[in-house]
This record gives sequence, C-alpha cells and structure tokens, in this order.
Amino acid sequence: MSYILDGLRQGMALLLPPGREILQIVALSLAVSGAATVLASLAAIPAALLLALKEFRGKRLLVGLINTAMAVPAVLIGLLVYGLVSRRGPLGTLGLLFTPGAMIMAQALLAFPLITALALAALKGVAREARDLALSLGANRRQLAATVIRQGRFAFLTAIIAGFSRVIGETGMTLMVGGNIKGQTRVLTTAISLETMKGNFEIGIALGIVLLLAALAINFGLQWVQGK
Amino acid sequence: MDIRIEGLCATAGGRAILDGLDMEFSPGAVNVILGPNGAGKTTLLRLLGLLDRPGRGEIYYDGRKLSPMPPASRTRLRRRFGFVFQLPLLLAGSVEDNLRFGARLRNLSVSREIIGRVLDNTGLAGKAGQEARLLSGGEKQRLQLARVMVLDPDLYLLDEPTANLDPLSVKNIEAAISGLVRAGKTVILATHNLTQARLLAGKVVFLKEGRLVQAGSAAEVLSRPLSLDIAEFSAAENILPGVLARRDGRTVLECGALAIEVVSERTAGKAAAVIRPEDILVSSGPLVSSARNSFRGTVLAVADLGAVVALSVDCSGTVFTVFITRGSCSQMKLAAGTGVMLTFKATQVHLLPRE
Repeated sequence: MSYILDGLRQGMALLLPPGREILQIVALSLAVSGAATVLASLAAIPAALLLALKEFRGKRLLVGLINTAMAVPAVLIGLLVYGLVSRRGPLGTLGLLFTPGAMIMAQALLAFPLITALALAALKGVAREARDLALSLGANRRQLAATVIRQGRFAFLTAIIAGFSRVIGETGMTLMVGGNIKGQTRVLTTAISLETMKGNFEIGIALGIVLLLAALAINFGLQWVQGK
Repeated sequence: MDIRIEGLCATAGGRAILDGLDMEFSPGAVNVILGPNGAGKTTLLRLLGLLDRPGRGEIYYDGRKLSPMPPASRTRLRRRFGFVFQLPLLLAGSVEDNLRFGARLRNLSVSREIIGRVLDNTGLAGKAGQEARLLSGGEKQRLQLARVMVLDPDLYLLDEPTANLDPLSVKNIEAAISGLVRAGKTVILATHNLTQARLLAGKVVFLKEGRLVQAGSAAEVLSRPLSLDIAEFSAAENILPGVLARRDGRTVLECGALAIEVVSERTAGKAAAVIRPEDILVSSGPLVSSARNSFRGTVLAVADLGAVVALSVDCSGTVFTVFITRGSCSQMKLAAGTGVMLTFKATQVHLLPRE
C-alpha cells in the first residue's frame, strides 16, 4: 500500500509544476486525438444524418456493418494502418509510419464507427420528429438538414465526446503505428505503459492523473454545454 | 385545392397499409376520413402532405401529377399545405417562435397583426410569449393549428386534431375549421369522432384495412351505411344479425326467435338489420297501425341520456335499444320489468350484407 501511496505522492510532485517533457506529451495527446476525432466526426455526422433520414436499399446491412465495426479490436485497426503506411505498403511512399499522421489515421478509423453508431442511435429519437416538423412547415432540403442538426446537436456532441474519450485512452494500436518515440510520437497512454514497465511507477501515476483530469474536464464541459 | 388519388399503395414492414386507394376529395369543403385504428388514415394524410412517398399509385394536385415532380416543385407544393399532427410537434421556444417558424423557412415575415388575429381565432389570445412546450395539451393542439393558419395554406391536413382534448378545446378547433371552409380552404380531417364528422363534413370517406369502404355525404355514410363495418364503427345501437327468408309471401330476417319483416331485393342469405333507436315506437299494448313489425318485450333497463331516455328492451332474447322522450317515459311509468310492445316499419329496417 505504501508503494502506491509513495507513487501517488511522487507523481503529484512531478506535476507541480509539470516538466517540459510531460507538457509535450499532453499536448501531443490532445492534438493527435483531437485531430482524429475531428476527422472521424466530419465523416460520421453526415453518415449518421443520412442513415437517420434516408430510406435506401442495403441500409440495414450498412447499419449492421457499422455496429460490427464498433466491436473490432483496436489492435486490428493498428494492423491495418501499419500495413497501409509501412514502407512496403500502398501508402508507404508518404513515410507516415511512426509519425503523428499514422496515429491520427488509426485513431480516426477507430472513432468513426463509434461516433456514427452513437449519433445514429441518439438521432432516432429526434430525427423523425424534427423532419416532420420542418417538412410540414415548408422546409427545403437544406433547411431540413439544418433543422435536424439543430435539434440533434446534443446527440452529436455526446457521440463526439465518446469518440474522443475512446481514442485518447487507446494504447496498443497507437503504440504499433506511432512507435512511442520520445519527443515525436510519445502520448499519454504509451508513456504510462512504457514508464511503468521500466519501473518508473511515479511517472506512470503522474501521467495517469493528467489523463483522468483531461477526461473529467471534457465531461464536465459537456454537461455545462448541455445545461445551457 | 382539387385532390384526386389513384391506386395509392403504402407498405410498412412488409405489411400493406394502403391497398390501392382511388378517391377524390371535395375542394373548399371538409373531407372527413373515418375508420377504425389501423385503417390507414394517418398514412394517407402523410402521403397527401408529401411527408412520405407512396409505394405505388398517383396523387393529382389540381390535376398535376405528383410522381414526376422534382424536389423543388414538391417543396413549393408542400408550402401550400398545413399539416397538424395527432401528437403536437412543437419547436422549443415561445408560442410566437413557433408561429414564425414556417414564415422564416419561406424567408417571409409575419406581421404582429396576423399573429394576433390567428391567436384570437384559435383561443390562444395573450399567449404569444409563453414557452410552447409548457402549454396544456389542448393549447398545444391549437398552437399547431395556429402555426399553419399563419401561413394561410390552401389545403389543411389535420390528423385527429381533437383526440384527447377537453370539450371546450374541441369546440374551439371545430369553430376554427368551420372558419377555414368559409374562407374557401380545403380541409382533409382524420377523426374518430362521429359527431364531429356530422357537424363538419362536406364529404366522408370510410377506410378499413387500407381500402375505401364508402364515400359520400355524412348523412349517406353514417345513416345509410353500405357496410356492416361502418355500422359497427359508428356503434349503431341496434345491429341484429340474421338470415333472410320468405314467409307467407313476405321477406323476413330471422333473428333468433324473431322474424323481422324487411324490404329487400335479396330473399335469402345472411344479413344484418340496423334499426335506429328513435325509429322504434314503445306502447303498453298492441297498436293498430300500418307498421309491419310489432314485438312484445320486457324493459331491462332505463338510462337517462339527458336529451332522451334510452330503454333496453328484451324481445324473446333479442335486446333492442329504444330512445324515447323523458315525458313519455314518466307518463308510461316505465321501469325495469315493465312489459311493453315495440313497433317499427319494415322500411325503417336498414339491411346490410353480412359474411
């Protein structure tokens, strides 16, 4: 027990004030996961709107595939992205392997089905009513989409936050394609895993606290926005 | 607006909701769609309002075919409609926000004067600033109607606008609908309320299981139904199932122990008699009259309905409901157990085919 408490005390000391390396890791984590979430959302939100509002052939199959994709282990996505960006892969010439670019790509692929499925599930409740309301009062197609987005904005926000939480906490896949290179691709999760394995328990704890604080800040921020 | 539909079909989850409907609606009148739950009333209204697309079939609006219309024309057409949903769909915001939403979608503005007038006409005067979602059920429904009245559409599509409302709200909405027709608007109204149909309808269409059963004036459809379904739907008091037969040169409906004389071209097969409770005469003894049907019975119960008194009378196992005035009831000292005679003409028996 004292081992854990000592770790906790030393971890806190490392954060007050945080060193340059820790700040760099936190910044990269937020940048990579933020960019991945934005990219995934740009595809996932229109996809969810389309699935919620349009009837077309093969829609149920598509929704089934997206729900299945949610269950694909992150490490398999890591494998796929590794294959794509490694020197002998189809995107090998871009030299993305072990760069933040590869990490963003993998995390975006991981977040896309999650954000789509969550947004779709939440939209089901509001989309039909918002559609009926807008159409019956004379909305054209652009106004219809705008009304549904406005009525469904909290649904989207919740889905996006869930996607961000998923990717910022991901370790194995990020390690595979990023390589955990100090100062270049080291992020919170890969650093925690490395430092702990190296026996630097207190650094792991310090970084863990930062990760928890980031998650807390995001969730309270979300509640504050929804309360408005 | 002139509306005609041809072979209209709709399915949901593999089940046919509308099954090849052909009908015309009367322009500048209230067209009432009647039918039991699941008849397809809401589906039909949604198709007419361009909220959903038909599986098959065609709708003509003032003679223009719907199916080849591009999206922009559909939007223009939809902007001439006002749809009121059965469960109120309101925007978060004030009553006035809701009233202005349709105009905003059209890039128009609405004058304070119009807002005020519409609120007056729907019994919502003084509520413009209130939060719409905090209104009572009846007020929400009236707000839905007000919201489309602001846009002054040519066609009103109303899906059970008075379901679950208090009598005063119902009256307000019915008055507003009457006003629309006076202003030359076409109204298509789905309802379960027969009194409302009789009160408002220029035309009644009766649907069952996605098919048209009968169309005509309210009096035709409700008082002279062509189908037992309509008689049962309208909860007609005396629906007596039996079998037609010839007896001593007369056509009768054998109904339990009774043989009811009827006027019918058919002389055999299953049928049902519908007799209006106000068409039956009650007497304490046999009457000398031209009426062909007279049965002895016993009063089972007396119920005061306000305007009339309803008697249940058992005649050899068949129970009739009869309406008489309160005066007659007290004069004849009718009570449960009193012996009476029931008399009605053969021409007052409305015969319907039965399967």
